[in-house]
Amino acid sequence: MIYHKWITALQFLSIMLMWSFAAAILIFIPWLVAVSLRWNDALNWTLAISLVMTPVYLTVAGTLTYVFIGLRRGAPKDGDQ
Amino acid sequence: MRGNAVSESPRPLEESPDEALYRPIEQTGPGFYWAAAGLLAIFFFGAYQYLRQFSLGLGVTGMNQPVTWGFYIINFVFFIGISHAGTLISAILRLNQAEWRRPITRMAEVITAIVLLIGGLHPIIDLGRPDRALNIFMWGRLQSPLLWDVMSITAYLAASTVYLYVPMIPDIAKLRDRGTRPRWLYEFLSWNWQGTPRQHQVLSRAMNLLMVLVIPVAVSVHTVISYIFAMTLEAGWHSTIFGPYFVAGAIFSGIACLMVVMIVFRKVYHFEAYLKEVHFANLAKLMLVMAVVWFYLTFSEYLTGFFGQEPAELDVIMYKFTGPYAFPFWLMVFLNFIVPVAILSRKRTRTIPWILVVSLGIVVGMWLERLIIVVPSLAVPYVPFPSHPYWPSLAEISIFAAAIAAFCLGFMAFAKFFPLISIWEIEEGRESAIRETSARIASYLPDDPEPSASDEEAVPEGAK
Repeated sequence: MIYHKWITALQFLSIMLMWSFAAAILIFIPWLVAVSLRWNDALNWTLAISLVMTPVYLTVAGTLTYVFIGLRRGAPKDGDQ
Repeated sequence: MRGNAVSESPRPLEESPDEALYRPIEQTGPGFYWAAAGLLAIFFFGAYQYLRQFSLGLGVTGMNQPVTWGFYIINFVFFIGISHAGTLISAILRLNQAEWRRPITRMAEVITAIVLLIGGLHPIIDLGRPDRALNIFMWGRLQSPLLWDVMSITAYLAASTVYLYVPMIPDIAKLRDRGTRPRWLYEFLSWNWQGTPRQHQVLSRAMNLLMVLVIPVAVSVHTVISYIFAMTLEAGWHSTIFGPYFVAGAIFSGIACLMVVMIVFRKVYHFEAYLKEVHFANLAKLMLVMAVVWFYLTFSEYLTGFFGQEPAELDVIMYKFTGPYAFPFWLMVFLNFIVPVAILSRKRTRTIPWILVVSLGIVVGMWLERLIIVVPSLAVPYVPFPSHPYWPSLAEISIFAAAIAAFCLGFMAFAKFFPLISIWEIEEGRESAIRETSARIASYLPDDPEPSASDEEAVPEGAK
């Protein structure tokens, strides 16, 4: 059914958006490290903050993906009672 | 327009015992639209004032030299503080398996998501030239506490939005199955939830992970906000206890805001059967503890400053104690400590109307605390410079009012589409909470010792 395909496509899109957000942050952080290197700024602080922040975004995006895939796999298949 | 049922959706044949929780979504009365219209008027007036500030510059605000941070930064700290109502309280209660949490957690989580969005916008409003926020992306310096704020608030917003959404999935599926409109929205957001054991297991694992993640993130957010002040060498700001002081204040104001929201929506949507006296009494006890913790930290903060007798520090303290900010300072102490302790420590006055009075007082008192922290340190500079008193302008006041209106509108919009009380958790509580709690309590108790043969012999003859 086209309606259900659209809904599924939207759901995949929402997961991709979450990962795009996480990827944007993951690109932003090395960029800031590069800026600190170029300006001979406080690199150690930059690396420390990066190490703390990166896993948070990855965990959030990963959890959402786990729920998305887990709920799809856990749903009864067509014909299941 | 009809009074009670403006929009109606097809109902299943079997009515749920929790029909009251679906009612705000499926039946919208005129009061909703009147309230929304009033709030939108306030919001648009604030938006107009912002556009005026955008075109004329920050000169339309009451900020001056040396007071370069005013209402916007005060409100930024205040709103982010309120955000601790939700996810942190909800995660702690869930983690502790506190059974009375069930009707509370959803509202708390919604508060977090909405106020984080509103609070996070305030530094951009404060910029005057919002396009300069883009400089963060190009030339941000990650060793600056300002950028720590950007990172931690974004992380908290992402984590708490996901933490709000994941436990909502079974309720969204219920709305989908009832045929509530817009159907496509509920089908899209329900993510194929059918309530199978495997799906419950996935949901439970994800919630456990998010709970553990969200608590340190929430604590770090307000600690990092305190660093904006504490990392400077400004008198009144350069303090080592600002981290815990801000976190305690945030939890305190968060609980108060949660109480206000719970009481208002309980009355408006007739949730009396779900939000009972016991829920308010339990949260009131938590609020009382936080009032004492807040006072202890405030006392410590000023005692150390006063004991040092450093002239610059003393100038700021006296500016607050006896100077132009004496009234807001002592009003803050009255609202945040004296009133809560006087009212909440007595069981007789720990009732819903009194709790509402205390909670409103704490919300105001905690806003005053942010004012007391931000302005006096700037108004009494180190260098000899004429001090100007800070008075907010119409633009600042109306943008503040617009922010509060946006919060109310956001909450009302949420209530129009999603249940404010977690229906599946209430059902789960009915089905299994008593059994599980009894088993848990039994596991805490010491094991019964097996009676041995020698014990039986030791029993005196007369006692047998």
